[in-house]
Amino acid sequence: MKTVVIYLFVVVFGCLSACVEKPDFDQFDDIDAIPTIDASLIYVESPERIINQAAGINFYSQDFVFDPFNEDFVQERLVDAIIRYEVDNTTSKPLDFTVELLDAGDNVLDTENFDIAPAPSPILIREITYGPGGRPLDILRNTVTVRLSATNLGDNTSVSSLPDPKIIIRSSARFRIRLK
Amino acid sequence: MKIRAVSILVIVLIHGLAIGQNREILYDFDEIPGALMLNPGMKISYQWYAGVPGLSGIGINAGTSGATVHDIFADDGVDINQKIRERAINGMTKRDELSGTFQVNLLQGGFRAANNTRNFYSFGWYLEGDAIGYWPKDLADLAWDGNADQLGRRYDLGHLKTRGELLSVFHFGINHIYSPKLILGARAKIYSIPLHMASSNNQGHFVTTAGQNNIFSHTLVADMLARSSGFNEIRNALEDDTVDELAEIRKILTKRSLLGGDLGFGIDLGFTYDLNESWVVTGSLLDLGLSFHSTDPWNYTLDGNVTTEGVEVILPDALADPDSEFWENLVDEIEGMVPFEEDNDSYISFRPTKLYGSVRYNFGEPLSDVGVRSADCNCTDQAAGSRRLITFTNSAGLQVFAVNRPRGPQAAITAFYTRRLGRLMQVKATYTADKFTKTNLGLGVNLQAGPIQFYAMVDNLLAFENLADTQYASFQIGLNIISWGR
Repeated sequence: MKTVVIYLFVVVFGCLSACVEKPDFDQFDDIDAIPTIDASLIYVESPERIINQAAGINFYSQDFVFDPFNEDFVQERLVDAIIRYEVDNTTSKPLDFTVELLDAGDNVLDTENFDIAPAPSPILIREITYGPGGRPLDILRNTVTVRLSATNLGDNTSVSSLPDPKIIIRSSARFRIRLK
Repeated sequence: MKIRAVSILVIVLIHGLAIGQNREILYDFDEIPGALMLNPGMKISYQWYAGVPGLSGIGINAGTSGATVHDIFADDGVDINQKIRERAINGMTKRDELSGTFQVNLLQGGFRAANNTRNFYSFGWYLEGDAIGYWPKDLADLAWDGNADQLGRRYDLGHLKTRGELLSVFHFGINHIYSPKLILGARAKIYSIPLHMASSNNQGHFVTTAGQNNIFSHTLVADMLARSSGFNEIRNALEDDTVDELAEIRKILTKRSLLGGDLGFGIDLGFTYDLNESWVVTGSLLDLGLSFHSTDPWNYTLDGNVTTEGVEVILPDALADPDSEFWENLVDEIEGMVPFEEDNDSYISFRPTKLYGSVRYNFGEPLSDVGVRSADCNCTDQAAGSRRLITFTNSAGLQVFAVNRPRGPQAAITAFYTRRLGRLMQVKATYTADKFTKTNLGLGVNLQAGPIQFYAMVDNLLAFENLADTQYASFQIGLNIISWGR
């Protein structure tokens, strides 16, 4: 019986001596889950022969719905963004390319203009920051339409000596979303 | 606030109410009726037993092979984001898991047949919750860091593996003394399943590479399936402002627990074989069964593949349709190629089958079944025969355990020592090694005061220094009434 009591004491004492270092669950509020996303946006390509065939100097102009940043989830959680443009002109002529961001009332929120030198010219790279230290983030949040327009500032006959001459505009976004 | 509370609750539940399924201290603890649930073919020395409703067996454990509550939420002055990155994002792999089970015996009893004392019948009803979630390494990385500067990295969608269910189990078993050396047992089970969910056979990947035209190319290849049953009705109850939510949920769960929902069937098998008076071999196979989910199924699929480089405006094709909605067309195209769909098709799920085995060596002074010296009692008239009823002061041996999990079998090995202390008490000490911990020392105590039998078991004693920092912890208690028929 004495042995039983001793064993019981050991077990009970052992259990009672268990402790839990008190966690601080308030730290949950401090969690910042903010992934950085890279995503392609818009790619525009036009061969030089199409530019030459255009009747006027404005060889392309179009508005279309583009509202990835206007989606509720993104709009509410977008922290900042960098839009990157890469312009590669292998045609023989100088060009002008404009990207306009429009809101639901067709008001122009932002304009990015590219004055593009004829080939040979280096790839033009431009990064536009939206958010802290850059342009207002609301520009992206409220954009529902993109207007693209391209103008030929040269002639309609010359053809570049480079193979398959064309104007290419690439774009991507690097943006941060607050998931928590 | 609600999200915060739910998130913390989930974390705590996962860590605090998890059970590793392995109940190594209870297994082969013949004096405890609850051990019969782990081996229907175990040696039974009593004539009948009755569990105290709701108290005859309660088991709660914790199991995580990765970060603990303490790792993340310790009040140590370190930024929690840094802790999450170091201990979860960088510290855990796809094989790390958070798993849990709880089991509560609501009704339990058994008796030796009067007309054939070789047979012992048992029956009962218990409630069980079981869940496992593997750390979705690639998906967590993507959610935490995003895909920036990760060109070429394939985020494996197969890292999402999880399953869980809440079920009540009605069972009836027979334990048969086949020969003086061999006891066989079998148990039939009816599963009544209020809730079930599983997403464990996912395949596919998401990858970002340098684009052929645009700056990036994004590829999604997905073959994903998530199945659930029972949640829709509860969700409806939560969204219905005209009813008392808790009362309605209680009503739904109660009805489904009493054979009013999804049903399943299963069996347990077990044996005990005496190699000689000292050496004993046991084994059991539990929950060999399946469930049919048809009352409230809800399935989700994401199946297909697509590669995109964003909106493409390529002249002269783009001039052909000046009103083209490039962005909307792109979204429609992606949704068409990788459709996210829902359906209400019935489905079948398999129970996580468990396997136990042990080799035991008895030594020390031979005793009767209840701690009375064999020379002092009349043991020869029992159904099991005098030889079967003789136990020993000490026993030691090895046990193995395995459970079928979504990422393959999960195993554990246990060394144990059992000692009887007079008529009142028996203790069992264990050392278990598994994927959760290599320092798991456990202790079980069985107390017998007349017909009242009480047991308590605690796992991973070394973790008691700080339970919040443990990767595995459990306890089990039970209260029964036992009769030896004397």
